This record gives sequence, C-alpha cells and structure tokens, in this order.
Amino acid sequence: MAPPRIVVTGVGAVTAVGLNTADFWSALTAGRSGVTSITRFDASTYPSKLAAEINGFDPLKYMDVKLAERTGPYTQWAIASTVMAMEMAGLDMQKERSERVGTVIATTGDVHKIGDETDVLKARGPRRIDPLFMNRISAHMAPVQVGKFIGARGPNTSINSACASGSDAIGMAFNHMRLGRADVMVAGGTDTLVSPICVATMGLLGALSRDAEPGKAPRPFDKDRNGMVVGEGAGMLVLETLEHARARGARILCEMAGAGWSYDARNDTAPDPEGEALAMKAALDDAGMKPEEIDYINAHGTGTRLNDASETRALKLVLGGHAYRIPVSSNKSMIGHLGAGAGGVEAVASVLTMVNGVIPPTINYVTPDPECDLDYVPNVARKAEVTGIMSNSFGMGGQNCAIIFRRFTGA
Amino acid sequence: MSAVEEKIKEIITGIVHCEGKALTPTTTWKDLKADSLDLVQVLVQLEETYGIEISDTDAEKLKSFGDLVAYIEGVVAAKAKS
Repeated sequence: MAPPRIVVTGVGAVTAVGLNTADFWSALTAGRSGVTSITRFDASTYPSKLAAEINGFDPLKYMDVKLAERTGPYTQWAIASTVMAMEMAGLDMQKERSERVGTVIATTGDVHKIGDETDVLKARGPRRIDPLFMNRISAHMAPVQVGKFIGARGPNTSINSACASGSDAIGMAFNHMRLGRADVMVAGGTDTLVSPICVATMGLLGALSRDAEPGKAPRPFDKDRNGMVVGEGAGMLVLETLEHARARGARILCEMAGAGWSYDARNDTAPDPEGEALAMKAALDDAGMKPEEIDYINAHGTGTRLNDASETRALKLVLGGHAYRIPVSSNKSMIGHLGAGAGGVEAVASVLTMVNGVIPPTINYVTPDPECDLDYVPNVARKAEVTGIMSNSFGMGGQNCAIIFRRFTGA
Repeated sequence: MSAVEEKIKEIITGIVHCEGKALTPTTTWKDLKADSLDLVQVLVQLEETYGIEISDTDAEKLKSFGDLVAYIEGVVAAKAKS
C-alpha cells in the first residue's frame, strides 16, 4: 500500500530579521540582514564579533509567566513558532484526536549554560543550583513543552544531528505520518549559537567570519567568503496527511514530497560533496522526482570556504547540468546559522517561497568564485513560479539531510 | 502578619504566581495548584534567604502555609539562640 501523501498547512518562525512569520518573510525577500555586533556578551576578545541575535522577543505574548520562567528562550521560540504555524493551519486541537498529533523538534537546548551552572555548583554546593536548570536547558524540553502547550499526545521527540537537525526533524515527522503513526505532526527546529562558549569554540575551529562590520557577513558562495555568522531562532511547520487536511477543509500550502539522509563517514570537520550528494539523491528517490523537477535549492550555504564549494559540487553531482539552470540561495546570508534550528527556519522559507512565488536572495554576494559557479540569486529577491524545492542541511561531522517540497496540484 | 510570614508569602507568590489567592495558615500546595517544581524552588529560596538547610524529611511534613511559617519561625528562633 502506498504511504499517505503529506502536506504542509502552516508555518511559523522567530528569527533575527523578524519575530513573526510575516516580518521574517518580508525581511528575507527585502534582502535585509539581521547580523549585528554581538550584544549578548562582551565579544571584544573573541575571534568573531558578529551574530544574528533575537532581541525584543516577548514570551508573554504567547505563554503565561510561569511557563516563561520554566523555559529557555529556545523553547519559547519553538512555542511561538508553533502557535503561528497552527494559526495559519487553522488547526483546532479541540477537534483533533490528541494521540494522533505529534511533535518532533531539532535543538541542542541551551547547553551553553551548563558551564555557568557548574560554576555555581562548584562555588556554592549542590543545594544552590537552579531548580529549573533541566527545564531551562535540556534539548528534550522543546518538544516536551510544545507538545504540552498544544495538547499533542502522539510521538514526541527531540533530534540532534548538528546543523542537519532541523531538516532531520521534519523528515522524521514526515515518516511518522507515512508509517501511519500520526495524522498531524508539528515539526521544525529551534536553537541558539549565540553564546560565549559557542563563538569561542567555532571561532577556534576557523568556522566563523572574522569580519566586524554588521550586515556584511556572512557572504555565502562569494569568492571572499570567510566563515559563518552565529544565529538563533526557530521555525516550525504543521504537516498532515492529505486525507486529514482535506477532511477538515484546510488550506494546503504545498506537499512535502521526500526526505533523504546520509553520512559522510570521512572527516570530523570538512564536508564531503559525495556524502552530501547521497542525501540529496536519497530525497529525490524518496519523492520519486527527477532532478529536472527541482527548480530551486534552499542551500545549506553557511558562508564557509569549504561548505559552499562542497555544496556546489554536490549539487552538480546530483543534478548534473540542471544545477546550472536553477536558482540556489542561502537564507543564512541574512539570518546567520541557527545550528539545529537552521533546517526548520529554512523549511519555513522554502514553503513561503513556493506559496508566494518569490525566491529570497543570497546577500553580500559581490565576487564570483570559480569553485561556486551556480546561480545564487545575488542580493535581490527574484519572482519565480517554483514547483519543486530541495532544502539542504549538512551537519559538522558529516550528517546530511535534504528535504523536498512540491507544489500541491491535487492530482 | 509576622516578618517571616510576609517574606514566605512574597517567595511563594513570586514562584507559584498565585497572586490574588488568599494565603491562610491552612492553605495547601494543592490549593495553590503548585507542583513539585514550585515546591523545590520555594524551599531552595527559603534556604538561601534564611541560611538554613531543610531536610527532605522535614520538607515532606510542610503541607500548608501555616506549617511552613511555623517551621521557618522555629528554625530562625533556634538559630538566634545558638
């Protein structure tokens, strides 16, 4: 028996360029950067001084003070994005069988804060640590609190496969429904890389841009790209079986057509184009689509020298000459790298690209690189009827995931 | 209301967010819809405020606002004597 078809009926995002879905999309298509000097902590002695931070987010717009106190920002952004996605989907949990609605969220949690609390532990002993520590930092708390908030008692899982996590989570949710385990899944990613330990570590490894001028980095696919910029935020989708969406008369934004995974099994830090290509090929096979049916790539596009060249090669390995004929752009050029949240937010952007017929640009693109010789939609958004989108997410260490959205035709 | 009572009320209200609910000697955690996380936070803050340590055995006996006030007043008085 063929698995059920899965559709997207709602999206929501909280990012540095917009605290709600509409503002996010309007900034993304205007080519507006959310990258500023780091304000979260004093970064004057750090190797990288830029971040795409979320400022001004008020959790009390979405939850009561008690829940806000018991959750870390990553969980709050996930709840807010879920609320927005559910509103767009018109999903009323009162009318749903709660055990048929599930949640999969990609996140690292606020692990960066373990060090601070360990300092308290060492200095003041085991009775003086924050009793809410687990609630505020643990990765599993994002899906746990989202599931509780909306009353979804189906599959509930947190995923971490580094920067591939967000797409990974959406792919897992997709398969839960195809295997008949749920009718509706709320899925996506939420994360922050804006922390002293993260900027220090990633900076030490040479992954971060050393630029100091706000808005001018990262520069994905540009010849002078010099690293990624840390970001934070959340992006969530409401996915459901076509049958379920039709039965409740939901507006269908697009179809989720496929997901593919792979692992490089090569190098701890350097990406492997052949490994990345395996995930993209697997996603195409899963969707039953030919390369020619993809007409836009939402790239991983981090802005590091290695990633962008590797992703470009991987696209050519999978798509052949077709790679030169389709637009490829990087949302990270504006919102920075959201870590485990990236795939979630980029899936939201992919769905909105298809719905609105506008491809967000890759900003800060000035000088072409012979190693990156595709059409990266430089600096200005482009109107285009898009019918097949592949969104790539590649994790440090070699975990890869690609997901595919297709225009819903009803046929 | 004693100073200790006032302080405990402030701590409970700040953590449980039961503003508007009357706190009488017989008010229980259950009345306030407080869960175990609330309770742990209240106890940790009381320990911090009064420089004391509340054992798990003692904590289990503290079912109402009145129990808590009597317990803390007792500990504070004993501490003042020693």
